[in-house]
Amino acid sequence: MKIRCNREHLADRLAQAARAASTRANLQSAAHVRLTAESSEAPVELAATDLEMTLRVPLTADVEEPGSVLLPAKIAPELIRALNGETVELSAQDDGRVLVSAGSSSYTLYGLPVDEFPQLPEIDHEQVFETDSAVFADVVGRVKRAASRDESRPVLTGALVRFESDRITMAATDSYRLAVAEAPLSKAPPESIEAIIPVKALEEVVRLAGSDGKPLSVAIGEGLVTFGIDGIWLSVRRIEGQFPNFTALKPDGVEQSATIAKDELLEVVRRVGIVVRQNTPVRVELAPGQLSLQARTADVAEGAESIPVAATGTETIEIGFNHEFLRDGIESVPGDEVKLSLISSLRPALLESVDGAFWYVIMPIRI
Amino acid sequence: MRRVVAHLDLDAFFAAVEVLENPALAGVPLVVGGDPLGRGVVATASYEARAFGIRSAMSSAEAHRRCPSAVVVRPDMARYKRHSEGLWALVRAAVPVVEQVGIDEGYLDLADIAPTAGEARRFLLALQRRIRAETGLGASFGCGTGKTVAKIASDADKPVGLVVVAAGREEEFLAPLPLRALPGIGPKADKRLQVAGLERIGQLADLDDESLRLILPGATGRDLRERARGIDPRPVVAASGPSVTIGNEETFDHDIGDPAILSEHAARMAVGATERMLKEGLVARTVTVKLRYPDFRILSRATSAGQPTGDPTEITRLAELALQRALRDRPPPIRLLGVSVSRLVKGEQLHLPLEDESA
Repeated sequence: MKIRCNREHLADRLAQAARAASTRANLQSAAHVRLTAESSEAPVELAATDLEMTLRVPLTADVEEPGSVLLPAKIAPELIRALNGETVELSAQDDGRVLVSAGSSSYTLYGLPVDEFPQLPEIDHEQVFETDSAVFADVVGRVKRAASRDESRPVLTGALVRFESDRITMAATDSYRLAVAEAPLSKAPPESIEAIIPVKALEEVVRLAGSDGKPLSVAIGEGLVTFGIDGIWLSVRRIEGQFPNFTALKPDGVEQSATIAKDELLEVVRRVGIVVRQNTPVRVELAPGQLSLQARTADVAEGAESIPVAATGTETIEIGFNHEFLRDGIESVPGDEVKLSLISSLRPALLESVDGAFWYVIMPIRI
Repeated sequence: MRRVVAHLDLDAFFAAVEVLENPALAGVPLVVGGDPLGRGVVATASYEARAFGIRSAMSSAEAHRRCPSAVVVRPDMARYKRHSEGLWALVRAAVPVVEQVGIDEGYLDLADIAPTAGEARRFLLALQRRIRAETGLGASFGCGTGKTVAKIASDADKPVGLVVVAAGREEEFLAPLPLRALPGIGPKADKRLQVAGLERIGQLADLDDESLRLILPGATGRDLRERARGIDPRPVVAASGPSVTIGNEETFDHDIGDPAILSEHAARMAVGATERMLKEGLVARTVTVKLRYPDFRILSRATSAGQPTGDPTEITRLAELALQRALRDRPPPIRLLGVSVSRLVKGEQLHLPLEDESA
């Protein structure tokens, strides 16, 4: 294998692919980026995997000799970025070694033999449909924080992603709160389809999509979901299992609710949060004319805030929330207003957008 | 599995520590407690002083009258705590499950290491000798199939006693003992039992259901009769792992007589305990206030909430209620105040019903 290419381009693309490489010490072979140059006609492919998520990144290069090598994921991007000169040349030596030369510099990377690289999953290109990357990124951003980080409940570490003919729905929950976002799609698959997808992979897709509205390709297969943007393919294993029936978790029998200016509420919640430590609850009291928030940490500080509101009910309900959960929920609501609905101090509370396209259930802290 | 529970009770612990710290006091009638010229009382008397009829909780003046030559030492809790820590470290190294219930007593679960009465006796004898050799302290042991029998047995042959009650012999061991030897009889129950003319543990054990209902109705009566029969299923619970109680106590520089000031201290300590509890992700149902009076006697009162709470305002309110009850039972001045939270549960943060919606 021998290629020559633009040094900056190679450094960028290597760094992009390396994001999927394994950081685990017991997976030496997966701590590499595989570079495959099939022929002088086809683009060079950079691939990396941690066995959960796989990234395939195209590279523009002149192929002098076809072949493939493994480049150490940790140092190769850094080294190539630091070299002098516009062009860099990579050529395979014996035993997995790769000679890197640019300008007057010459380095040898000790990669593993290429046949030790993990088998990568096949992408089923027949399944691929296109959708709006900006809409997809927006709904991921609204639900991702509600997902669990607790690996002992794998289903909850993912988001349920459901494509229907005219819209996308995403839901995530860590059992303390549940976020559900829905948005219309101009481009969608021919049939409804859904999968539980690790949130880490969804965040990576959002990163790849950037902000310039490139079309997003999606293929949802048996065990694998693949996303394609701008020639880069990200595949991730679907999370097996049954996602909670989230529509059944939307509270009903609301006793008291109010619609509040989101910025004002957020400002108050962030401020009162300054005096919150660990699990001390934020006490929220929704009365017919007023929403009050209160927090107190012993020996540190306490504070109280209130906002005039026009509540729909006649009751006064007091409820305690984890500060972070409350703030996440309000921040995730799209639009300028947030509707807060309460049933009682021990029942789930609902935060939602006025159009109902986003809703967030938050379980109280017993106070 | 057969239960083997031992109770360890140190002999005249405070006095024994004073002798260890000052060997000149060995063999002398020694009283640890308040000033004989003031209104203090005896916290502990050495066995030499007990020979003069001096007992714990007796007024210091009375003790002085009974034995004018007795040496009186003011208690030094920090010193006792230091000695106690060494002792319990030794015991925990020898016994897998240890439930310390005070500075000088605790229960040991011997089921795994000495499952028969004979083995228990040999084990405890060796432990008793090691305690003497390594800490200089005298310890009495009682052993049986439950905590009640073990505790009573440890008191049966003091000092340096060792009484092992074999399985099946509990009732026989307890029957002749006076009722007041049975732990867990409160003042109310005590009065009712006296009125009914009961004097011995065996008489309580022999009561039929009907008579028991008349004398001591409800669960209290049934529990006490079970214990009088030597049946006590309470497990020995090691205090390691998640905290059983969280709290702290403070000894004041000057005894405090003003209830309002005590309330302020209690509120501050309640909020502190709440914060520590919440840091551990716990909420409490019970708040306990502990008071030590100038004569070193301790009074504690507890209040419980309907549901576990992590709210500092509510914990403070419960502490205040408990404090008021304690002060009603015995007015200030107060030397030491403690506030703790217990019956701790995790999950003050409620969950969505994800798994089983019917549950």
